[in-house]
Amino acid sequence: MNEELLWGMPVVAYLFLAGVGAGAMTVSSSVLLRGGGGGFGGHHFDVARYGAFLAPIPVMLGCAMLVFDLGSFQTGHWFKWLNLYMVINLSPMSIGTWLLTLFVGVSLIYAYTFWPRDAAPGDRYDTLRKAAAWVGVPLGIAVAVYTGVLLGAMPSRPFWNSPILAMLFLLSSISTGVAVIMLARAVAHKRKLGAEDQVHYHESGYILTASDVLLIGFEIMVIFLFLMFAHLTVGDVRHAVSVILSGTLANQFWFWVVLVGLVVPALVELRYVIPRLLYHHAFAVPRGIEVVVPIAVLVGGFMLRYVVVVAGQITGPVGI
Amino acid sequence: MSDGSSVGVTARRNFMAKLGAGAAAAAMTAALPASARAAVPERKVQYGMLIDTRRCIGCHACTVACKAEFDVPLGSTRSWVEYVEKGNYPNVSRSFLPRLCNHCSEPNCVAVCPTGATYKRKEDGIVVVDPDICIGCKYCIQACPYDARFINPVTGTADKCDFCLHRVSQGLVPACVETCIGKARIFGDINDPDSEISRLIATNPVSVLRPEKGTQPNVFYIAADHTGENDRESGQYVSVTTHRKQKSRR
Repeated sequence: MNEELLWGMPVVAYLFLAGVGAGAMTVSSSVLLRGGGGGFGGHHFDVARYGAFLAPIPVMLGCAMLVFDLGSFQTGHWFKWLNLYMVINLSPMSIGTWLLTLFVGVSLIYAYTFWPRDAAPGDRYDTLRKAAAWVGVPLGIAVAVYTGVLLGAMPSRPFWNSPILAMLFLLSSISTGVAVIMLARAVAHKRKLGAEDQVHYHESGYILTASDVLLIGFEIMVIFLFLMFAHLTVGDVRHAVSVILSGTLANQFWFWVVLVGLVVPALVELRYVIPRLLYHHAFAVPRGIEVVVPIAVLVGGFMLRYVVVVAGQITGPVGI
Repeated sequence: MSDGSSVGVTARRNFMAKLGAGAAAAAMTAALPASARAAVPERKVQYGMLIDTRRCIGCHACTVACKAEFDVPLGSTRSWVEYVEKGNYPNVSRSFLPRLCNHCSEPNCVAVCPTGATYKRKEDGIVVVDPDICIGCKYCIQACPYDARFINPVTGTADKCDFCLHRVSQGLVPACVETCIGKARIFGDINDPDSEISRLIATNPVSVLRPEKGTQPNVFYIAADHTGENDRESGQYVSVTTHRKQKSRR
C-alpha cells in the first residue's frame, strides 16, 4: 500500500458524509410522508425532525472537502470549481454536481420548515414541508446511488466497475442515515418523558431499529453477491477483490466493515426487535445500546467507503 | 515488403472507390454487411503512432525530449519507457515498452470529465486537456487504463501527452519521434491508407495495450511484450521497471 492515492481521505470522508446526509434525508422524508403527519398519524414527527436537521450538514461538509481536494484549489485557483456549473454532460461527476446542489437547496428548505420550536404536523409550513419531502425521497436516493455510479463508470478500475457497487452504497447510505437519526435521538432526548411520550419514543425506535436490521440484511446480501461473483470470475476483477478477501485490506474489511459495521449491530438489534416482532413485547432499548449500535453502524459505513476507495486504487487491470 | 503492401492498399482503394460511387444511395449501404459499411471512408484525420519495439534500445531520449519540450515538472512524465525483464535462467529476455497517451478513439477520460475540459479534437483525433477549464478533480486520471495522465503540480490541472500539438500543427513530428535514434517511432494519420504508419500497420503484426478495455487506442506496437507483474503467478520471474514516480503499473 505504498502507492500514491489520487483520491485519499477527503474523498473517503465525502462519500461517507454524503451517504449519511442523503440517507437521513430519505429516511426523514419518507417517515414524514407516512407516520410523521402523513396518512398514518403524527407519532413519528420527531424522527423526521432529527433527520431533517441532520441531512444538509454532512453533505455540505463533504462537498467542501471535495472542493479543498481539487488540484485547482490546492494551487490557489479558489473558485475554479465553479466551472462545474458551466456544463451538464453525462459524466457521473457532472450529474452528481447538479444533484448535490439541488439536494443542499431542498434539504435546507426542508430543515427550515422544522426550525420553529413548536413545529408540528399541520402547522403553517406543512405544505412546504411535505413538498420538500416528496422531492427529498428521490433526491436522497439519487445522491446515494450516484456516488457508486461515479466509481463504477471506469473499466480501468476493476474493483469499482460493478453495477452492484451503487446498490451497496445506496443501502449503506440509508442504513447510516437511520443510524445517525437513532444516535441523535438517543443523545438528545429528555431523560424524563411522560408515559405517553415514552411509548411513542420507543415505538419510533422500533421502526428505526427494525428498518436498520432489514437494511443491514440486504447489505450483507449485496456484499456476498459482490464477493461471490468476483471470486468466481477470472482475471482483473478476481485479482482486485482478492485485496479485501485476503490481501492488504483484509483486516479492515472483515473486522471493521463486516463484523463491527454489519454483523454485530444486526445481532444486537435483532435481540431487541424479535421479541416485539414475534411476541408483541414492549420495545425498550437501554440507552447505552441505543448509542453504541448506531456508532458501530457509522464506523462500518465509513470503513466501507475507505476499503472500497483504497482497494479500487491499489488494483488495476492484469497485464498490459 | 512495401511493394506488396502498396498493391494491397491500391486494391483496397479501388474497392472503396467503387463502393463510394455505387453505394452512395443509402438503400444499398444499408444492404451491405456491417463490416463493409464501417469501411466507408469518412476521411477524418486520426493521428496515431506506431512503435517498433525491436528498434527501441531503452535510451530514454524520448522521455528527455518530452521533458524538454514541455518543461514537465520533476516527478511527472508525459512519455516514459518501461523495461520488462522476464524468464528463469537461461531462458530470459529484456524488452522495452515506450509509453504515452494512446489518443484513444473511445477515450474513457473524455467520457468522465465533468467540465468538458478534456476532449478529442475533431480535426485530428488528438485528445487534449484545456488547462483553463480543468479543475483538477482527477476523475480522468482514475479512468485512464494506461496511467497516461497526472496532475501537473504547477497548474493543478490534469496533464498528459498531446502528440506535440504545437509541433504537429506546424507540420513537424512530435519531439519524441524526432529524437528517436533507432527510428522506432512512426507518427502519422492512420486514416490515410497511403501514410507510412498505415502501411506499416497493415503489413506487420501489431498490437495495442489493454484492448479489452474497449478504448480503441491509436498507439500501435510491433513486437510489444505484454507481460505484466501479475504474470509472476505462473512461476516465471517478471520485473517491470516503470522509470517513473509510480513504481508499478496499475
